[in-house]
Amino acid sequence: MSELSVVGQRVRSPDAYDKVTGGKGFPVNVRLPGMLHGKLLRSPYAHARIVRIDTAKAEKLPGVKAVLTPSAVPQIKYHSVFFAPNLDPGMVRDMLILSDTVRFAGEPVAAVAATELEIAEEALELIDVEYDVLPAVFDPGEAMRPGAPQIWEHAPNNVAVNLSFGFGDVEQGFKQADYVFENTYQTQRVHTCYMEPRVCVVDSDRQGDLTVWSSTQHIFGLQEKLAFALGLPISKVRVVKPRYIGGGFGGKLDLGYIEPVCALLSLKSGRPVRIEQTRYEDFITTARHPVKVQLRTGVKKDGTFTARYAKSILETGAHATHGAVVLPVHGLMGFLLTYRCPDVKWEGCAVYTNNMIGGGFRGYGGPQGAFAVESQIDEICEELKLDPIAFRLKNAHREADPHPFNPNFTLSTYRLDECLKRGAQEFEWSKRQSAGSGSGTKKRGIGFACQPLWVSGCVGFPGIYEHSGAIVKLNVDGTADLSIATVDMGCGQNAVLSQIVAEELGVSADAVRIAYADTQTVPFDAPTHASRVTYSAGNAVKVAAGSARKRLLEVASQLFGASPDDLEVVNGRVRLKGSRAKEIPIAEVVELAGAPALTLGLEGNQRTPIADKGTILGTSSLAPASNPSPATAEFVEVEVDTETGEVRPLRALFAHDIGRVISPLGAEGQVEGGFQQGMGFALMENLVFDSETGSCLAGDFLNYKIPTAIEMPGEIKSLFIESNEPSGPFGAKALAEPCLIVPAPAIANAIYNAIGVRVRELPITPEKILAALGKL
Amino acid sequence: MKQLLPISLNVNGDSYDIAIPPWRTLLEVLRENLGLTGTKKSCLEGQCGACTVLLDGKPVNSCLLLAVEAQGKEITTIEGLARDGVLHPLQKAFVEHGAIQCGFCSPGMALAAKALLDRNPNPSEDEVRHAIVGHLCRCTGYFQIIEAIRDAAAEMARKDVQA
Repeated sequence: MSELSVVGQRVRSPDAYDKVTGGKGFPVNVRLPGMLHGKLLRSPYAHARIVRIDTAKAEKLPGVKAVLTPSAVPQIKYHSVFFAPNLDPGMVRDMLILSDTVRFAGEPVAAVAATELEIAEEALELIDVEYDVLPAVFDPGEAMRPGAPQIWEHAPNNVAVNLSFGFGDVEQGFKQADYVFENTYQTQRVHTCYMEPRVCVVDSDRQGDLTVWSSTQHIFGLQEKLAFALGLPISKVRVVKPRYIGGGFGGKLDLGYIEPVCALLSLKSGRPVRIEQTRYEDFITTARHPVKVQLRTGVKKDGTFTARYAKSILETGAHATHGAVVLPVHGLMGFLLTYRCPDVKWEGCAVYTNNMIGGGFRGYGGPQGAFAVESQIDEICEELKLDPIAFRLKNAHREADPHPFNPNFTLSTYRLDECLKRGAQEFEWSKRQSAGSGSGTKKRGIGFACQPLWVSGCVGFPGIYEHSGAIVKLNVDGTADLSIATVDMGCGQNAVLSQIVAEELGVSADAVRIAYADTQTVPFDAPTHASRVTYSAGNAVKVAAGSARKRLLEVASQLFGASPDDLEVVNGRVRLKGSRAKEIPIAEVVELAGAPALTLGLEGNQRTPIADKGTILGTSSLAPASNPSPATAEFVEVEVDTETGEVRPLRALFAHDIGRVISPLGAEGQVEGGFQQGMGFALMENLVFDSETGSCLAGDFLNYKIPTAIEMPGEIKSLFIESNEPSGPFGAKALAEPCLIVPAPAIANAIYNAIGVRVRELPITPEKILAALGKL
Repeated sequence: MKQLLPISLNVNGDSYDIAIPPWRTLLEVLRENLGLTGTKKSCLEGQCGACTVLLDGKPVNSCLLLAVEAQGKEITTIEGLARDGVLHPLQKAFVEHGAIQCGFCSPGMALAAKALLDRNPNPSEDEVRHAIVGHLCRCTGYFQIIEAIRDAAAEMARKDVQA
């Protein structure tokens, strides 16, 4: 690899100083003069028709400035998912801003804006709603049975989306198998638990132009979805990029109810309106879809796959939204493409229920697939006495194979084999005991899982945006401003993108500033999602910085009397390649380029040495060339208390091929944070709903437990297997999502290794452990 | 008309005289009346620790404390941790260890850590973990935060020796 000065360094995040002194840039801090406070009235019933809404008393309450009911809002059906266009035929448009039929407990039925939050809350209590309560269904299996309550006219048997894909002849493949394994795995509903609530402020002017501040992962998606739902041209909606948001993890990747409601309240009142969700409202706004995965897998005696079949039933809740996309992503990335196999078939459906709407969550269908696939491989290996690592190596894709997702690409860098081998060596996998062999009441076990294939963005997925753009502008003090729509939700996007720009320009990382951006001022960028920013947006900022650098050298060439090709930038100074004889700081070149053409001197007017004047900048707007796959393997050791059923993860090791590591500090943070989320998914998190009423029973952090500092293992090691991806910025690929995908199956496999019994339903709670051990 | 109660608060060494409805929490007053938005509002039920401030040096959930109850006490918010533009060693360590990702839990974490180091300048890893157990973080997995706190403790001990 060539010498790099900024990429690969442990640089500090450009926002860290601001955040550690209070963090002024969060959207939750936005306040405007004359701002009103909005609140939503939510249905207590899971399925009901609104017969009548009387808002007269609420409207008369002093301080109330606007009230909305379904009849007062546009009835344009939309889908809320940011990364796909509204008119994409693969999406289901079943959302309304406010509807006269509610389909989950908590769906909004009316809204109020008032001068104070307490007045808005009081006004909600004065709204009288008469409901015609309808029969409801909360279990996807029941929802598909004949005679179940029908939630939508367009979806017989409550099936929102039905899909299947595959290749080869799967029945033929099963005939070739020596053994066929059939198992069913079930995942639960879990919440992203971003710490900053979903919040927005919308202002309007007299011409009906809207300006929106929101805790969003995608300013352009919010612009398009909001304009569509309101029936406005997109030019009427300007979305301001938050400097950063307080976490997202996929949970801020769609149009909420609050943004269109705020917009309408603002238009009606003529004042800016702010709505901030309560933690309970956040809990019922977005969640990972529960999926039941039935696997049928044929293998030869030596562990070679001959046929793989899966059927997935995904519960999408009251609306299809993300469920319509999570489903195929789950089928493809979570199952179909993971390993080499000649005959593969996947069938899946997304089923409506009267539960809350599912949403985006890091991994987006992958975790549900990996829990099933990686658990079953462990079961197969146990039964056939095969080594789980050798089994995966036998069936894994290999570097330079055609990309299984898109034959136009190859797996140009793909080091799963090295992740497995080096990870196993470092973790001392060979010391693993046979399952359940430990003595005593506390038993230890080690387990392993991988996510063989993943994405660096969405190139090749139908109907999903995948391009980025940036503007890099050089300043007279030698710094650079980077304008880009990419939202930093905490994963260090601002740091990584600054480093790439700095490396390309030849300046230090702290010489790059992230500039103001909104939907009017910067090129389109796809969302902060799909593990795409480092690779896709990284390529865009590299091209923009490269173009600024080219212009810089053209200008500097006039000062050196040399060709731009003979110049380079090192440590913020331009010089002849390899020569220290003459060095001119970037600042000086930029200043001369921007200075007046003539200056008055003692000897008359002097021409500056730069003939062509102007700001030195570079721009880009492009889709990435490929979709290189990272590869992930994870090893975990757990201790299971066979008397209480409690599981304690003791240590973990991740081995990742993510291409070149741009920001080691950030990459380690991704791994460690991903483990926290994956461990919660594996062992404790469950967003439980009342099976009679459909109301959320776990809508706070006391009932919805996420791992704290004392539950986390003693150690998590990150082992980065650095490849140099040719299509990536400085060789980089993706990292973010697999960090959360692999822990659950790795932990489940470690638990099996400890106690010799298998739990196929998440979360693996003490009750399930004790039941599996026959102690309950 | 709402009954407003005049109160006096000492925040980061500055005194503020304001009139508030008596049911206002310290969190609401800090953010909405005093404009000190460093204190974060996340769960409002004392379960996440994001709104932590120090009251006479002890960490409290400002969402569960009425502002009137904070009268006569020294309130320290994240805005009061750095002095004269110089970061507290804890803040410096948070920045350098990557302990800050989204940053929403960071003010509460940093103040809880300060309270810990004030009473126990050389905490074990286990003591650090227990000191931040009431603080939820969804980004970092806590490791870089724990490292930062221990590193800050070591740095402060070095400075003490030099002094």
